[in-house]
Amino acid sequence: MVGDRLRRGTGRADTRPVIGAAFSVTLASAQGGDETAFACLFRDVQPALLRYLHVITPEADDVAGDTWLQVVKGLPGFRGGEEAFRAWLFTIARHRAVDAGRSRSRRPDLPLAVTEAMEQPMAPDAADLALEAISTRSVLALIKTLPRDHAEIIMLRVVAGLEAADVARIVGKTPGAVRVTAHRALRRLSDLAERAGVTH
Amino acid sequence: MPGFPIPGRPGGEHDEPLLDMIIARRALPPDAPQEMHDLARMLAALAGPAELGELAGGAAVRAAFSQAACPVGISSAARRPVRRRRPRHRGRDRSRARLAVAMVAVVAGLGSVLAAYSDVLPSPIQRLAHAAVAAPAPPGSGSDRPAALGTGRQVPHKPRPSSQSASGPHHSASAAQPSAQPGSPTPHYSPLSSSPGHRPTEPACSPGPWRSPSPPPKASAHPSPLPSWSQAGQCTGIPTGPAAAPTLNPYVP
Repeated sequence: MVGDRLRRGTGRADTRPVIGAAFSVTLASAQGGDETAFACLFRDVQPALLRYLHVITPEADDVAGDTWLQVVKGLPGFRGGEEAFRAWLFTIARHRAVDAGRSRSRRPDLPLAVTEAMEQPMAPDAADLALEAISTRSVLALIKTLPRDHAEIIMLRVVAGLEAADVARIVGKTPGAVRVTAHRALRRLSDLAERAGVTH
Repeated sequence: MPGFPIPGRPGGEHDEPLLDMIIARRALPPDAPQEMHDLARMLAALAGPAELGELAGGAAVRAAFSQAACPVGISSAARRPVRRRRPRHRGRDRSRARLAVAMVAVVAGLGSVLAAYSDVLPSPIQRLAHAAVAAPAPPGSGSDRPAALGTGRQVPHKPRPSSQSASGPHHSASAAQPSAQPGSPTPHYSPLSSSPGHRPTEPACSPGPWRSPSPPPKASAHPSPLPSWSQAGQCTGIPTGPAAAPTLNPYVP
């Protein structure tokens, strides 16, 4: 059924949520080698994963691929529910992003100026943002203008849907600090959106 | 944005319940500020469904999953015995390595013993071998006593021309080997007493069961406390010191 939904449509992918209460069944099937169940997991988490990685690393696609490869390796031994699975996956993604940043900084053929420019959050022009409607991409561009820790915590709390305790473990802060940072980040994001005219 | 709380602005903590609701993706109350509604709408767009390009890597990930689940086209249940067999291979390799090490050690040991008996080792090592496995003593060594002396073992020694020439004027083949004549019994060497101050009543080198019919010569006024050993490893009873004129050797005429 899920496979049919994956194969259906040629122009645009079916992006409806695919996992709900049946997450544990899907996870168990994927752990047993069911490729369709694994594709279901992938489609459920990949958009949030890719958006999170776009915020914290310029090599989001490569890091996402590495993350999934590691998930494939560790999937048979994973134990836990949907929340734990997401926390595990985003922890892997963060580690791979850090590794990618280190290897990028060691790469000799990349000019330093280019590296720094890629690591800095891109501040979009306010006029350009005002012309765009509210879309995932425009909001992502807005979030990239936030400080790194603010943007990351917003992505993990809102996009990945993780609890404050899980986010605290991933970013190395206390749950209280995560909550305070998330509030500050949201206030700053609202202010930025008002100035950029993204919101209606 | 009038009235919207930002950090450092008074009243910033009043919106915390609304912010928590936005984070938890719950519906805001209708009387919430418009800014909060806008923020909730932005974040809902951020957490929206997948766009087309975001699932582009799905094929590669699925291929990696099928490879990991079934690397050679067999089921995962069939792969389990292969994993279990791995420690057995490791154990076999270890036993082979141990066997090889043992064989090398045996060959090295045998070679060393052969070299020691062939007297081709350097002098210190040869002396060590002489003490350990009763190999021939190195040429020119000061100690002519075999290492097996303390244990009372007889150690056959090959006579050496060089050592014989260095044994002094009193040493001669006839004196050192009185029973070398055909048909005569081999003298029996009794072990020396190692207690200090022990003066032997008879020479340590006694002929054993076969004794000379002639009585032993009288001890001189300054008898040597211990008989000396010839370079050939035979007891002559001839002291090697400067005051060694009197002899206890019954075979010396």
